[in-house]
Amino acid sequence: MAVLTSTNVLVATGRAARRRRQALVVGVAVVAIVALGTLGLTLGAAGVSPGRALAAVFGTGDPVDVFVIQRLRLPRVGAAVLAGAAFALAGALFQSTLRNPLASPDILGVSTGASLGAVWALLVLGVSGVAVAAWAFGGALAAAAAIWLLAWRRGLHSIRFVLVGVGISYVCGAVLSWLLARAEVRDAQAALLWTIGSVADVRGTSLTILAAGTLGLGAVATVLAPSQAPLALGDDHAASLGVRVQVARGGALVVAVGLVAVATSAAGPVAFVALVSPAIARRLLDDGGADLTASAVIGALLVLAADLLGQHALGTLTVPAGVVTGLVGAPYLLWLLSGRADRKVAVE
Amino acid sequence: MLTSPAAAPPLAPAPGPRRGRTTLVIAAAVVLLVAVVGASLLLGVRTIAPGQVWAALTNHDPSSADQQVVLQLRVPRTVLGLTAGVALGCVGTVIQGVARNPIADPGLLGITPGASLAVVVAVSFLGVTSPLGFVWFAFLGSALASVVVFSIGRAQPVRLALVGAALTAFVTPVIALLLLRDTQAFDQYRFWAVGSLTGRGLDAVAALWPFLVVGVVLTAVLAPRLTLLAMGDDVAASLGQDVRVTRGLAAAAIVVLAGTATALAGPIALVGLVVPHAARRLVGSDYRRLTPVAALLGPVILLGADVVGRLVVPNSELEAGVVAAFVGAPVLVAVARGKTVVGV
Repeated sequence: MAVLTSTNVLVATGRAARRRRQALVVGVAVVAIVALGTLGLTLGAAGVSPGRALAAVFGTGDPVDVFVIQRLRLPRVGAAVLAGAAFALAGALFQSTLRNPLASPDILGVSTGASLGAVWALLVLGVSGVAVAAWAFGGALAAAAAIWLLAWRRGLHSIRFVLVGVGISYVCGAVLSWLLARAEVRDAQAALLWTIGSVADVRGTSLTILAAGTLGLGAVATVLAPSQAPLALGDDHAASLGVRVQVARGGALVVAVGLVAVATSAAGPVAFVALVSPAIARRLLDDGGADLTASAVIGALLVLAADLLGQHALGTLTVPAGVVTGLVGAPYLLWLLSGRADRKVAVE
Repeated sequence: MLTSPAAAPPLAPAPGPRRGRTTLVIAAAVVLLVAVVGASLLLGVRTIAPGQVWAALTNHDPSSADQQVVLQLRVPRTVLGLTAGVALGCVGTVIQGVARNPIADPGLLGITPGASLAVVVAVSFLGVTSPLGFVWFAFLGSALASVVVFSIGRAQPVRLALVGAALTAFVTPVIALLLLRDTQAFDQYRFWAVGSLTGRGLDAVAALWPFLVVGVVLTAVLAPRLTLLAMGDDVAASLGQDVRVTRGLAAAAIVVLAGTATALAGPIALVGLVVPHAARRLVGSDYRRLTPVAALLGPVILLGADVVGRLVVPNSELEAGVVAAFVGAPVLVAVARGKTVVGV
């Protein structure tokens, strides 16, 4: 009895410590997002002080400020935060439900499918604007549906889904590079630019769709979260704990694919946010488990910081956020990985 | 309860088939390889009589245009396909064995992206334009990337995979940035990036074959070690294996094999990934049986894809890189859908 009680106490303190740590990580990230977001509103060709920027957000103050902030800078900051959160959330869902730290839309072919759809629209159909976004959305869903159908065998199993996903990703990638090699070189370059991902031109309807999709699917993910944790123990253990494995996994994958499709069609496949954010969250929480909230805020912070750096750090040269996420996120992940034992990286 | 034991794919190594079956599979793979080599020499956009092909190889008549096509074009791409295919089959097997991740391949571990970056740098800063010039940069790029991945990843499975992904994440935007600023470089690079067996001749193979030999020997030495490593570091160590030596040898093998394959054929997707899985289905997960089968299936798929690519579009060709993805994907799906997905 005494032993049991002390174990319970230990578990309880462990949980409390985890919650404190999670609150700290999320809190610091949110503060950083607000700070960087404010910075993003003030920086630019027309310098606006933080106070005036804040006033302009609510539509008061100088009309020029209001125009610059409400039409240009606020949408861009919002798009960065939303797209980053959506990609990171999708990555966390993929990685936890498929039990593979490499499972992310970049590698499973969902992003590649979106890129192929967009490049097809740009190079073969010659369309632009909303039509490209629609094709990207369709490409992501088609790739996901193909993986789902091909991997389905009396249920959906992690290893089948991951293997088939990698296969679909390579096929889409091969067709994509073939399309790029066949097109007129300037057109191909424009298509290449789309495949990098940028939050520069997400405004109006596409921003509304991005916001509604991310927040809606994010809410569903939060509801699903309690059924996800046992999946990390393995299908049999989860089932023995009373979790309906197929329903839990299917739900998580639908939400993840939806998030990727929404975010990619708005901003392009901003590279590696989905892969890197949950990995960073796991490292910061230091307990091996992926955490949806922490992943989402880290993803939002990553894309926001990347976009600001891409806009302002290189002087007159501006680069899309998708270039910077990899350049900043990857070394950070490597730094986190260096000098620690392997077991702590494990997702299981 | 939704998961019955039958529905869950067992991840333990499948019981190894008997020796007889392995011999049969190897014999069948050899026959298949000979058939593909024959097809590669006989078939193409230009219709050439089998007699002319035979004459070109045995009693060459320089005045015959047909025989020139065979010797100048078909023989080099056949040799190239064989060399790069063996390298891809071996490197995929070693990577999956040491990374213990079923989706590990040179692309995911950042090695092919490293080669791509080196080629882009060569084109855009050093003005290299000849395919033979790309060969050494691709080799150097893969080798450097492997060294980075293995020194930070320390060949520990999950770590290795994440470091590879991080390296890819770092390299891909650099490539994109360079290509967006230099249209001419992009124009050169995009044809290399599809992956094909044309454009590089026998001189490239002549320069790189020693690396392939070293890589194949290392793979053969590694085979029994990887079989033990599959049971976990602790088991391997308790059976007297120095796990660090295994990982060092594996890293060396991956450097030379991935370098050779990418230098010769460009970034070929899926072959390195799918071949070990197919071989595992055929002969089980003992690397001593797995490796020879993978080394034979690699060139079968790569060269087979090249032959198919010559035939599907009338009077034109599809690059081997594109076709290999379409040939490899169904195989991968079939393996993934198998009754038992054999873990790594």
